[in-house]
Amino acid sequence: MTLYKQTALILSLFLLIILSTVLILNFQSANKGVQDRLYEDAKNTATSLSLSLGGANGDISIMSTMINANFDSGNYRKITLVDVENNLLYERVLESDIVVVPKWFTQLITLRAPIASANVSAGWSQVGILHVQSDSTYAYKQLHSILIDLLVYFVIIALLSLIAINLLLHAVLKPLKEVQKQASAITQNEFIIQDNIPYTKELADVVVGMNNMISKVKAMFDKGNEELKAQKELEYTDENTQLKNRKYLIDKLPAYLKIDASYEGGVNMLVAFNGILEANEKIGHKLVDKLFVTIADIFKQNTKDIQESIVARINGTEFSLFLPNYSGSDAIELAKSIQEHCLNLIDSAGLDQKETFICIGIYEYNHQDSISKLFSRSDNALAQAKFNQEHIYIEKAESAVEVMGKEAWKLLINDAIEKEKFSFISWSVIDTKKRKLAHNVLSINLVLDKNSSYSYAQFMAPAIQSGLSSEIYKKIVHMLFNNSLTFLNASAYSLRLPQEYLEKQDTYHDFSELLRVNAAMLPFKLIIELPDKLVRQDSKNIREYVELFRRYGIEIGVFEFIAESNDYQYLQSLRPVYIKAESNYFITQSDRSISSLRLITDSVGISLIAVGVSDMEMLKMLKEKDIHIVQGMVTESIELN
Amino acid sequence: MFKLKLLLILLLFFVGIAYTNEQYVENSLLEKIYKKYKIYAKKRFLLLQETLDNVRDKSDLEKLEAVNDFYNEVRYSSDIKTYGKSDYWATPWEFLGKDKGDCEDYVISKYFALKYLGVDYKKLFFTYVRSTKFKEPHMVLTYFETPKSEPLILDNNNRKIFPASQRKDLIPIYNFNGDILDKANKSNEKSHKKWDELKLNMQRKKI
Repeated sequence: MTLYKQTALILSLFLLIILSTVLILNFQSANKGVQDRLYEDAKNTATSLSLSLGGANGDISIMSTMINANFDSGNYRKITLVDVENNLLYERVLESDIVVVPKWFTQLITLRAPIASANVSAGWSQVGILHVQSDSTYAYKQLHSILIDLLVYFVIIALLSLIAINLLLHAVLKPLKEVQKQASAITQNEFIIQDNIPYTKELADVVVGMNNMISKVKAMFDKGNEELKAQKELEYTDENTQLKNRKYLIDKLPAYLKIDASYEGGVNMLVAFNGILEANEKIGHKLVDKLFVTIADIFKQNTKDIQESIVARINGTEFSLFLPNYSGSDAIELAKSIQEHCLNLIDSAGLDQKETFICIGIYEYNHQDSISKLFSRSDNALAQAKFNQEHIYIEKAESAVEVMGKEAWKLLINDAIEKEKFSFISWSVIDTKKRKLAHNVLSINLVLDKNSSYSYAQFMAPAIQSGLSSEIYKKIVHMLFNNSLTFLNASAYSLRLPQEYLEKQDTYHDFSELLRVNAAMLPFKLIIELPDKLVRQDSKNIREYVELFRRYGIEIGVFEFIAESNDYQYLQSLRPVYIKAESNYFITQSDRSISSLRLITDSVGISLIAVGVSDMEMLKMLKEKDIHIVQGMVTESIELN
Repeated sequence: MFKLKLLLILLLFFVGIAYTNEQYVENSLLEKIYKKYKIYAKKRFLLLQETLDNVRDKSDLEKLEAVNDFYNEVRYSSDIKTYGKSDYWATPWEFLGKDKGDCEDYVISKYFALKYLGVDYKKLFFTYVRSTKFKEPHMVLTYFETPKSEPLILDNNNRKIFPASQRKDLIPIYNFNGDILDKANKSNEKSHKKWDELKLNMQRKKI
């Protein structure tokens, strides 16, 4: 319970107790006042009537008449006249009650009408004693009306006071709310500096302390950011040409060489320079380096319009132009153009084209190729090109032996989408330090019948080729929110969503509807994994998704991270729970790069997870890099606590 | 030995009597009266005690005469002069302490002294009368031997006690006895404004 609620409750309770006490005391006082009044009236009547009775000289008939006259004209319950020996001389008693107040009121309130007495005498002799009791009916009416008035005032005062307490507490606790906001921002690794220091000393101390702490953490993050940016230059850039290097290409390739890659294939063009030693001797190192810089510009110029192309310098004399979704025939044309430009430059540099020339090996890759295969086949193409007269050679990937034709796959997948023939499977992500399950990663199978199904790796490639991948994701997201009770055995599951699906126009709307209806009923913690290349754009689309997921308590993870951003502020605003990168990425990074990344992730509470960890040897290398949370085949051989 | 036993028995007997004969004004109050009204006031109270002790075992009539005579020695003074109020019912200790008072004060003091002496309070009444001689309201204490008998009048103007029929100068208006009213109506603490105020002052031992 918040401090505001506790204070409001206590104050309201106090207020109600005080008001109730005042109400009760007021009512009791009114009750006593009314009883006193009843007595005074009775006493006045007793005295004046007894004086009048004295004039009757003891004549009972006259005295009875006098008593009757008084009784009938006033509000009395009883008038009694007794003689000096207490024998009844005359009595009048009220015979019927006039109902003027509700019955519950008379039952609840005991009103005792006091009896007033007076001596009655005639001349020197005594007649007896007169007792008069007033009728309490009208006193009840008066008390009832007082009670109603008191209750009305009580309600009005209570309401006004509660409003006043509410306003007052809001004013007094406003700085505390700001402090709380800042504290919960810290919990969520947000950096908010409070400029308005509260007037209350204790709160001011807390705010100053938190500001101080945030400044330090922010400085830590900024330092990590700067260092990682600097490291990126060192790790991924060729110093001479400012092109990307071999490491960058290797770290980047897993995003293209995977089952569910955005593109089915493309080309990898290896450009090798021959006769550089001779060139160095002839025109010197500096001019040769300059020549490479100019050639790098030619590569950039020729590939700038090719989406997601990577130009990297592999070694001193070889360059790789990785061109996803690019055809072999276009690649040959591009190779010829590059070759021509380069030869012209070689010529202009005063070098002999027979000694110094370029060879281009083109490998038309398939997204299911491995990195090593891509490199060996590209090398092979380059070797062929060296013996080729044109010094250009293209090698095509063997066509995979298709189990089914494209149309058959399309029919099968469409049927699966329509009839929800997908089933969820999961594998573990393990924190090897704590020997605990970090979360489960969800994947899907396409189920044909009870005994046979296609794995994600089998059906996703034809699905992408048929343009059905987004439809599949749409369906499985629906299934996840509607049939999620089958996953109650673990507390957290992650689902990886591809860029194509997220960028589809109606995806956001579908998602918000699904979350609005089902988010509260989800029996586990859901982590949505988004690709790094998408989230680092910090686009409006992504901000909307992040806002939506946060609203429903869904956490965000980042995958395919290779630290190639120009700025890592996006991690601070996105605040994912973890970043997933290929294990190879972590292993090949310098200690300095890893520690810079750690500075960033530790300051905003992000875990680092290595994926594709296949064996214990790899796990050992990751541990040396201080990476302990892993995903991949190795998790099957780790015993959990 | 026998003489010693007899002496002891006699001593116990007298101590017992002294113990049962409660004083009209107890010593602590007497000391306060002495402090406030000095020695003569104390002497008046000692004389009162002596007067009362003398008639303790006498008839009602002798008690009436003794009390009437004793209090009629007190000087008359109006309430406005004595207390600065137009009407005030003084306690017996104020009345004898100041040694002055008006007609109600005589009646009150006589009433309580007679009650102390064991006269049945039901026989005594505060009677509001009109004095034809002075042509003004007046109060006397009346004593009824029986409820139906002719009362005796204890007055401070006419110092002797007479039956009512011999007091032509007084016209009775109203008889009042607070104790009777209090007993008749036990559920109520109040019976008569002036009487109630007097009772309170008596409880507080106002001097």
